[in-house]
Amino acid sequence: MTLRQVLHIDLAQKESHVDDRPELFDTYLGGAGVASKLLEEECPPRVDPFSPEAPVIFAIGPLTGLLPSIVKTVAMFKSPLTGNLGESHCGGHFATALRFSGLGAVVVKGAADVPSLLRIEDSNVGVEAASSLWGLSPLQVEKALRSPNPLGMESVASIGIAGENGIYYSGMITDRYHHFGRLGLGAVMGGKKLKAIKIHGTGDIPLERPIEFKDFYEEIHRRVVQTEEMRKYHDLGTPVNVMMLNEMGALPTKNFTQSRFEKAEGISGERFLEALLERKISCPGCPVGCIHLGGLRTGFNPEHELGRREAFEELELVPYNYEPIFALGSNLGIGDASSVLRLIGQCERLGMDAIMTGSVLAWLTEAVEKNVIRQQEIGDLQPRWGDAHTYSQIIENIALMKNQFYKRLALGTSAAAEKYGGKDFAVSIAKNSPAGYATGYGFAVGTLVAARHSHLSNMGYSIDQKTVKSNLLLEQIVEKIADEEDWLYVYYSLVGCYFARGVYDEETIIKALDLIGLPKTGKELRNLGNEIFQRLYRFKVREGFNLAKEEIPKRMTEIETPYGRLDPRRLREMVQHYIRLRERQGLHLRREDEALTELLSTTAET
Amino acid sequence: MRFHIEVERPERCIGCYSCVYACSRHLYGTLDPTRVAVFVRVNKSLENPFSVVACRFCTRPECVLACPQGALEILPEGGVTLTASKCAGCKNFDCIAACKLGALTLDRRTKVPVICDRCGDCAKFCPHDVFRYEEMKA
Repeated sequence: MTLRQVLHIDLAQKESHVDDRPELFDTYLGGAGVASKLLEEECPPRVDPFSPEAPVIFAIGPLTGLLPSIVKTVAMFKSPLTGNLGESHCGGHFATALRFSGLGAVVVKGAADVPSLLRIEDSNVGVEAASSLWGLSPLQVEKALRSPNPLGMESVASIGIAGENGIYYSGMITDRYHHFGRLGLGAVMGGKKLKAIKIHGTGDIPLERPIEFKDFYEEIHRRVVQTEEMRKYHDLGTPVNVMMLNEMGALPTKNFTQSRFEKAEGISGERFLEALLERKISCPGCPVGCIHLGGLRTGFNPEHELGRREAFEELELVPYNYEPIFALGSNLGIGDASSVLRLIGQCERLGMDAIMTGSVLAWLTEAVEKNVIRQQEIGDLQPRWGDAHTYSQIIENIALMKNQFYKRLALGTSAAAEKYGGKDFAVSIAKNSPAGYATGYGFAVGTLVAARHSHLSNMGYSIDQKTVKSNLLLEQIVEKIADEEDWLYVYYSLVGCYFARGVYDEETIIKALDLIGLPKTGKELRNLGNEIFQRLYRFKVREGFNLAKEEIPKRMTEIETPYGRLDPRRLREMVQHYIRLRERQGLHLRREDEALTELLSTTAET
Repeated sequence: MRFHIEVERPERCIGCYSCVYACSRHLYGTLDPTRVAVFVRVNKSLENPFSVVACRFCTRPECVLACPQGALEILPEGGVTLTASKCAGCKNFDCIAACKLGALTLDRRTKVPVICDRCGDCAKFCPHDVFRYEEMKA
């Protein structure tokens, strides 16, 4: 059975209705494809991201729950951070709970007058007052809302204090350890006074060809569990990257001033495994177990326990992976795994995106070093590389928006540098903070041109690592980036986990869709990927994004990469090449009025 | 082929539900986590270890003792078998409440309890060796 239902919620009226849209899911599959179409339909042009009219859209895909690692939900919204397309993907129980509720997508509009909970229990939907949850951490909300022994699948998602306060890089945390982390969904939810979403699905997904399906499932399960394809993710997990990138000279350190970190071993995947790993968990339907949980031990009061230290340590489990370790570790000069885990845990409790939080702190440290920021702004809190304690206090002040200075930091690195200066070392691409790869041209250009400015959009960092050895031309890198992004939008319409992209090659996806009665050819899928990308870019252009005017931050041309330092001229040429390539595909990368103004001004000059 | 199955190391469970989904595919050719004979349960938060529960093939099963219809019968090798026609019409489902472990659930469609048929798929699909299982001699 394929998907067809879109649930619409009006938070202000506390009303909901379901639209039956089989054609939407037949054409666009689900996930990013369906969400991009709903965004086009529902988001008024140039809307303020905090306006009640700005929609939040969640979508899953036709294979959600059915096959291993197809476990994610796509969220689309207007990002307060970039003022443009917000797109974020999250694991956990959210996608399967939606699926068992019979829904393919949810569109949330309006704003509640009091802190609220959105409850979706199969076909029973309600918006309820939830002031008792306001101010709580996502963990506390999860414990408050989860049923003791539910049938079917249940998911609890919520924002933290950072989202309530409108921090531009606050996220939404689902099921304790999974995140809609990037581009500020938390702030948008907070603006709508939507503290939490609880979904409980008890339906089923009938299989049209159960016997064939069973064999097919078994084959994919085997590839996921027993082959090398995903070993990295269930062993050390993504933190394996720390030492790998450090050895390559691609581990961004101290605000991208170095690409090797002298204390990398202290925050390596191996170190986390030995010293901190307590458990691993999975998303329902994925046998990988990539979520690594480290133990954070906090002392209470030795007096109560007659001085026995081990007896009074409470254990909190904090999820860790490579990006937060880079952002709150190497990029802040912190070389001690438990200090990094403590900062990650703090971002978890507050509901903040670790990558942007790290970026803001790194920029701030350098800005203070260079006297770009006056002493009176920072008060007693003097950030220094490696000083996790001070960083922790600054994070708290940002989340609470303690004064004008921290309110500015709450808008992201780019906005902070705009006000205080230090743009040359503000590491921000199209107002988003890049992930932790100083791998070269592919990563920098890939992040800039990507619809959601993520390294997971088009694998630029991975193309880099292969290119250094094989000597690809820069134009070829650009072409690969464009191809990858189109193809990944097919995969993100299913919605598969990025980590399993290698298992789901074209042939596998075609077979899977055929088994559920949704036959597509490879060509149709590739065209669809391109169509989704183009639709999202049209949205970006409409909302004011002009790729030709965007720049790779200066700092990213100063850091040593495996290619040496990146040449700004070549970076510009790559972006130009990309623009020409996309324009040949029929995509207009500038708004018509802007293009016209530019044409007129060039005509006037000549 | 039938298996003796035991939830031996529930603390190893990563919450992937591979066992639950495998059970659903095997018993009903569908994906329905409410109609299964193996359960992964979240204890209030993903922070806490999961509970994994399956039939223990008791030799004096309380589910059988509780059934007033005589629909459940003890098998010589342990565990139970269900005669659905005898079960039909029961509205109490004392069998489900009787199992202290919570290893029995109601198939909401057919209104009879879901019985493990010892196919072993739960154990075969578990990536973390939560289950111990061995083939039973005929």
